[in-house]
Amino acid sequence: MPTVVVASPKGGAGKSTTAVLLGTGLAHAGAEVVMVDCDPNRSLTIWSKRGTMPQRMRVLSDVTESEIVKTIKNHDNDGKIIIVDLEGIASRLVSRAISQADLVLIPMRATTLDATIGARALQLIEEEEEALDRSIPYALVFTMTKAVKSKQHSGIEKSFREQGVDLIEPPLMERAAFSALFEFGGDLYSMPEQGNMEKAIENASLFVQAVYQRLTGDAQ
Amino acid sequence: MSNNAFSIDLSRLKKQPKTSSTKDTDQVAEELGFSSREIVKKRGRKPSPRTGQVHAKVMPDTSVEIANEAKRRGVQQGVLIEEAWQLYKQNMATK
Ligand SMILES: Nc1ncnc2c1ncn2[C@@H]1O[C@H](COP(=O)(O)OP(=O)(O)O)[C@@H](O)[C@H]1O
Ligand SMILES: [Mg+2]
Repeated sequence: MPTVVVASPKGGAGKSTTAVLLGTGLAHAGAEVVMVDCDPNRSLTIWSKRGTMPQRMRVLSDVTESEIVKTIKNHDNDGKIIIVDLEGIASRLVSRAISQADLVLIPMRATTLDATIGARALQLIEEEEEALDRSIPYALVFTMTKAVKSKQHSGIEKSFREQGVDLIEPPLMERAAFSALFEFGGDLYSMPEQGNMEKAIENASLFVQAVYQRLTGDAQ
Repeated sequence: MSNNAFSIDLSRLKKQPKTSSTKDTDQVAEELGFSSREIVKKRGRKPSPRTGQVHAKVMPDTSVEIANEAKRRGVQQGVLIEEAWQLYKQNMATK
């Protein structure tokens, strides 16, 4: 079963939030999900202990550079989707996780700084594709976007599109429910009402469907 | 919203075959600044705790004998001098 790696060398880009929304969304839609927490700050592990975990979901903690390949190999053949959450740095662990990916998601706030640092991940993926002689599909996810797109956002989006980079639609908007995930644990269905819950669930669900289409090869 | 609900058809999920060798990707990663962040044990010989020095010229046959004995036991020559010094001190104490 496929492995999705969430990577960006930028801290605070929205990686762990993206990983949790994707994992809980896929589990909600009926998939078995293994979350692999590779971040020494243990965001996913802390999240998993805060609230009730969705059914069909497991979190593996403290997976290191020397264990990542084996850990993925041990789980990717028994009907589960693997989601790897990484620390926001440039490391060998990031590169090894990407080497095992069927899809790399690169969350990015729509700011020039995030785009510049996030672009390092794109470069790494492309070089790894060459080294491995296989294609590693990847897609950008804009995170914490506002209802009204900033000029900066539109400009960055345009420039990535022109380079032919796959952008996930819809982006993950800035929402109280999304930031509350780490406060309450669990998923959007189990947490107490935060902001416009219906909109948040719709945003997350459309996002998860867009990722799912990339895992089946239905996108484009 | 009706477009919230969807269900996953597991049989449609695609997975590529992948190598578990990381040699090639480690190298390109290193070149792009994605290097190892793990503390690896230092390789090679640990620095010797023998930081003191004696300045000793001895007769040639003595130096050959000390060298041979150190080699035979697989220790540094300083170890023999330490042992000899201990014996010397014991000797002086019982006099
Ligand atoms: N779409 C979003 N809406 C609201 N808050 C968000 C969103 N995405 C991330 N955040 C918040 O931003 C911070 C950083 O996000 P996080 O997912 O931990 O980033 P990373 O894992 O890349 O370091 C967290 O406090 C998180 O709750
Ligand atoms: Mg994180």
